[in-house]
Amino acid sequence: MFLALHIFFKLYSQYNKPHKIKNFKSFGSLFPASLGSIGPSIRLLLQSRGQKLELNPSFRNFFLKPYTNKNSAARNLNSDTRVRVTVKTHLCRKNPNLIGKRSRSSFTLAMDFESNYDIATTADFIRTHKFTRVALQFPDDLLKDSTRVVSVLRKRLRSLRESDTTGSGDEPDIGLFVMADTAYGSCCVDEVGASHINADCVIHYGHTCFSPTTTLPAFFVFGKASIGLADCVESMSQYALTSSKPIMVLYGLEYAHSIQQVRKALLESSTFCTSDPKSEVHFADVPSPYMFPSKDTKKLNDLQEETCGCGDNSSSDGASGAAYSIGGLTWKLLEGQSMEDYSLFWIGHDNSAFANVVLRFNACEIVRYDATKSQMVADLSQQRRILKRRYYLVERAKDANIVGILVGTLGVAGYLHIINQMMGLITAAGKKAYTLVMGKPNPAKLANFPECDVFLYVSCAQTALLDSKDYLAPVITPFEATIAFNRGSQWTGAYVMGFGDLINLPQVQVGNQEEARFSFLKGGYVEDFENQENNVEEEREDLALANATEKALQLRDNCNSIIKGGAKSGAEFFANRTYQGLNIPDDNTTPQSFVIGRKGRAAGYEDENNKH
Amino acid sequence: MVKFTADELRRIMDYKHNIRNMSVIAHVDHGKSTLTDSLVAAAGIIAQEVAGDVRMTDTRADEAERGITIKSTGISLYYEMTDESLKRFKGERNGNEYLINLIDSPGHVDFSSEVTAALRITDGALVVVDCVEGVCVQTETVLRQALGERIRPVLTVNKMDRCFLELQVDGEEAYQTFSRVIENANVIMATYEDPLLGDVQVYPEKGTVAFSAGLHGWAFTLTNFAKMYASKFGVDESKMMERLWGENFFDPATKKWTTKNTGSASCKRGFVQFCYEPIKQIINTCMNDQKDKLWPMLTKLGVTMKSEEKDLMGKPLMKRVMQTWLPASTALLEMMIFHLPSPSTAQRYRVENLYEGPLDDQYANAIRNCDPEGPLMLYVSKMIPASDKGRFFAFGRVFAGKVSTGLKVRIMGPNYIPGEKKDLYTKSVQRTVIWMGKRQETVEDVPCGNTVALVGLDQFITKNATLTNEKEVDAHPIRAMKFSVSPVVRVAVQCKVASDLPKLVEGLKRLAKSDPMVVCTIEESGEHIVAGAGELHLEICLKDLQDDFMGGAEIIKSDPVVSFRETVLDRSVRTVMSKSPNKHNRLYMEARPLEEGLAEAIDEGTIGPRDDPKNRSKILSEQYGWDKDLAKKIWCFGPETTGPNMVVDMCKGVQYLNEIKDSVVAGFQWASKEGALSEENMRGICFEVCDVVLHTDAIHRGGGQIIPTARRVFYASQLTAKPRLLEPVYMVEIQAPEQALGGIYSVLNQKRGHVFEEMQRPGTPLYNIKAYLPVIESFGFSSQLRAATSGQAFPQCVFDHWDTMTSDPLEAGSQAAQLVTDIRKRKGLKEQMTPLSEFEDKL
Repeated sequence: MFLALHIFFKLYSQYNKPHKIKNFKSFGSLFPASLGSIGPSIRLLLQSRGQKLELNPSFRNFFLKPYTNKNSAARNLNSDTRVRVTVKTHLCRKNPNLIGKRSRSSFTLAMDFESNYDIATTADFIRTHKFTRVALQFPDDLLKDSTRVVSVLRKRLRSLRESDTTGSGDEPDIGLFVMADTAYGSCCVDEVGASHINADCVIHYGHTCFSPTTTLPAFFVFGKASIGLADCVESMSQYALTSSKPIMVLYGLEYAHSIQQVRKALLESSTFCTSDPKSEVHFADVPSPYMFPSKDTKKLNDLQEETCGCGDNSSSDGASGAAYSIGGLTWKLLEGQSMEDYSLFWIGHDNSAFANVVLRFNACEIVRYDATKSQMVADLSQQRRILKRRYYLVERAKDANIVGILVGTLGVAGYLHIINQMMGLITAAGKKAYTLVMGKPNPAKLANFPECDVFLYVSCAQTALLDSKDYLAPVITPFEATIAFNRGSQWTGAYVMGFGDLINLPQVQVGNQEEARFSFLKGGYVEDFENQENNVEEEREDLALANATEKALQLRDNCNSIIKGGAKSGAEFFANRTYQGLNIPDDNTTPQSFVIGRKGRAAGYEDENNKH
Repeated sequence: MVKFTADELRRIMDYKHNIRNMSVIAHVDHGKSTLTDSLVAAAGIIAQEVAGDVRMTDTRADEAERGITIKSTGISLYYEMTDESLKRFKGERNGNEYLINLIDSPGHVDFSSEVTAALRITDGALVVVDCVEGVCVQTETVLRQALGERIRPVLTVNKMDRCFLELQVDGEEAYQTFSRVIENANVIMATYEDPLLGDVQVYPEKGTVAFSAGLHGWAFTLTNFAKMYASKFGVDESKMMERLWGENFFDPATKKWTTKNTGSASCKRGFVQFCYEPIKQIINTCMNDQKDKLWPMLTKLGVTMKSEEKDLMGKPLMKRVMQTWLPASTALLEMMIFHLPSPSTAQRYRVENLYEGPLDDQYANAIRNCDPEGPLMLYVSKMIPASDKGRFFAFGRVFAGKVSTGLKVRIMGPNYIPGEKKDLYTKSVQRTVIWMGKRQETVEDVPCGNTVALVGLDQFITKNATLTNEKEVDAHPIRAMKFSVSPVVRVAVQCKVASDLPKLVEGLKRLAKSDPMVVCTIEESGEHIVAGAGELHLEICLKDLQDDFMGGAEIIKSDPVVSFRETVLDRSVRTVMSKSPNKHNRLYMEARPLEEGLAEAIDEGTIGPRDDPKNRSKILSEQYGWDKDLAKKIWCFGPETTGPNMVVDMCKGVQYLNEIKDSVVAGFQWASKEGALSEENMRGICFEVCDVVLHTDAIHRGGGQIIPTARRVFYASQLTAKPRLLEPVYMVEIQAPEQALGGIYSVLNQKRGHVFEEMQRPGTPLYNIKAYLPVIESFGFSSQLRAATSGQAFPQCVFDHWDTMTSDPLEAGSQAAQLVTDIRKRKGLKEQMTPLSEFEDKL
């Protein structure tokens, strides 16, 4: 997309003068052939947008969002709304080189490409569900392949249509649209972006968090990373021998394709003894790559179970044990067993999906097998630290008066429900909530709201964990907020990330409302506004006015007002700031009689006498 | 056995002139608890025979085990005076019955917060001084605290038995020792003299000094002897008392009093002749079992022994005889009743110290007059764990009004600001209880002037609070206590079993309550921290936490951790500049160290954000040489808005500067809390804003742009101004005999300590050594010292000051750099410090 745009800018300036372009559609066809595969992509983009470029929100974003290429002359004025964009160097490479390389490559490589991007399955999916407008969502690092995917997919679809004899033959051409640079996390399906082009399906490429969608069906292409099968099986059986607990194998979705092989190889491996119950190895089910939206948020969990049902679940033997799902992986345990009885073996990178697993199953022993380096990583102290850090953030949040809810997703199913639930929770806790829509928060963006003591980031499970010490106020997840703002709930170590689990979280019955809240940050009891206010206000409603007057007449300590924790609402915070803005309230506020102004045109007002 | 009932006590509580609230204070091991026992015995709570061995007020198992007091314990005693002895009492009184609310306090410096809490709720103090060891560092500390609270002291020279049995000194030498002890104490008291309190020095001839042997349960004041001899010599009692002390000599040969030693062999000082010698004689006779001589002597003194007691031999006999002749309780209680103020007297001058609000409102008046009909003013000074696990008694003193069972009270916490709802609760008192040693007695109500324990308020009071009636909305709270020690030693605790976390959280909450000094917080890394005044204090706290407050769930504690501070040595080598994320705003800044003593002045509150800017600039310009105009341009203090760092605006003619002030202040609070070196607090740094360039469009210079930039520029200026670490340093006082000095010096040397004062205690072979010792080196110091001196030296450590570490933390491999790395590792930060280039931008 960047590349395309970059060229677009150049082209535009180049072609602007000789050809007065009135129609962007025709402009698309103006691309010189030398641009190779980019032409179709841009054309596609433009086609999809009809006549006006402005129609596409993601395109519009490009114009509005600053473009932080160092070479770019465009200076970014509005950096408050800036989105951190990393332009990978390989993207900036000249495309012809890339293509040159590709063209030199053998036929097998092309086959690899097709299988890597699941072209056949994708095409089948589109055909069987008769989608006509399909959005292809690419993360930044896969954008370089987008044009090629489109062209291959298009070819494939065409050939499918031709071979399909049952169809009438005059079906409309299937529109393929490339979407890039999502406003929110690129791991989620960008439903809003897709709906701008009226797409009826989204094909999502690359790393995904598998968050359920609200309206659109989605198809996930995980990609296929290579894995040293023998080495992986070797490490796994090694680990199985040393571990005293049965092992549950979880993996990054990019390794989903080879899990069956790993499993087979493991069974065949002679060193592995299946009769020993201690060293049992279980595998999480490979998720099915498609997902259909669920209308009822309450059914979220059922949905996920369904999806797991259509995957090839050979491990589930119909036992009614607890079912688990995380980041697309699902598995069931035998009756009476819990995750604490298992050791986890993770195949994949140290990414957010893994961090998620570590947090969620923090009571389990976890090892990671790094497939790219073919080695085991057992030291996860850094990940363990995260949990403790989150615990601290919860304690911080308990002391907050003003909470900023950051809406970081508009796609993940149930997000509205969660936001409402959080609002209710915060209000019930006697705190003030403000809702802010913000994709990809960064310290500078959040520091624009210094009145917020804590931010609550509602987003998909894998982007939710924002913890950098650069943030002025901590950013917590909805689950942490539930603990922090629900009096009486305790941090037990259990950790939930998905909205589905969160909605179904049992409501903690507030046990001991009697006791004042103890703050570990201040090392003492702190007041809770709600308790106090309810009691006192009801009792002495007649005194309310007197109290208010009394307070209004009180001398307040106004210095250092910006210090956190003082204000109870945004308005109070602003009222306490030393700088009040340029409009210093005039003392002279008596109403003034109106005067009749001038009449007429600037060329000559009626009260002007000179008539030229 | 028990001589009095709760009802009797309750009855006297109404006679505010017949109440004495007093605490027993002293250096560690000078015999407070032992002496208290004798008093308790007099009230009939424990048997006279075992007085001195039981240590009634050491209620905890570990107190008994270690032989030191850890928690202060209150006890109410009932005492009936005879008409005859009250003859001389000039003050107001209501009959002969007296109620003494006595609080025994710990002597070890680690627990001196307990002393502070005890002093707040008492009016008088019995200062106990070991006659051999004399006035020690802790004696001085507690005396200073007591006088600061306007507590009137009386003195008792304790461990007299050592003079007679152990040291066997003769009369004149003993007199010299005693008078030196008294002199030393008076010197201290004179330093902290207070016009309202009047002369607080103590004089044996006025009866404000007693001589006691706590272990043996006897004591006397000169009054006892004066009474005895007055009739014999036919002189006035008070005249006799004067003769019994000071430069008054008596020669039995000539039967003449002189003010100078005449030189004749039989001429002896009055004190020696009439007090010391007779006692010595009795003791010697008892110890030598010369019963044939003893009985006539006793008859002469009017002492009658029970027949079964006559069979005793040696020490027990001596103890019994002395107890009967000079019972400690009579002497001490008389001294207290005569010379310590009743609540109604004391509150008249204490009100100024106590009440925060205007001194002419009804609450101040009620406190001043100790008015039981006035509005309730009650100060809770500490929380005492109840036998019912997890609950606490709120222990305090009623200063005005009455507190009763079922009364709805307004609880004003330490952060309460009048007129606001912060830290304010309304709650009913479930029960009012008075404390009688190990027992508690429920009473209907408690009027002003008394100590009381309340049930049912513990869920709203962390450590201390002011209570008043529900309707008294305009009452101000009673001033918070000032502690002489600070929690500098910290350990991180975690539970062994992860699922015990809720227990730990609950336990820490209770621990925080149970001790006035301990602080339970949470670190950025999510670790729970317990901070205490010293190693011993922490040890006790953690033991309590595990055994009592967590029901035995196991905890893991880290090694003690000391917090450091970050400072700068010099002015920044250049003006540093940072750009905002959008590159459109630039902040220029320099850092420099604050003038010497200024950081301490800010700590003490002499200079602070709440001062009137005019006054502040006057102090700054006169005492610290600041430019007068500059002093008016202080933007803020930090961290926590009151800390010892500041931002000063030095720029001229900068547009929109006012607009970004709030953002810079926010950035400063953040940065000064977590310095650039190791994220420790900053200390003693003055940041000067040299220049600011701002974008003309307001949206581009919002908080989002300025706050992170300000933080970066603070760090950059800190790093360019020779940053250094400050470490906390203890002042150690060690008392030891000469032969132990070598061991002390070698241990101190090993521990980077240095001695700055060494003084021989006149008349004793003991040396007093004062030294500075880095807190970080102090762990295990006492045990090492004990080992090196075969137990003869006993250190007392009090936090004294912050000391700059000379090595440069920016220089790789230096000691400070290593320290920084360790701290960063512990906090889970990147081990490498963030380089200056991350904070500073080029134009």
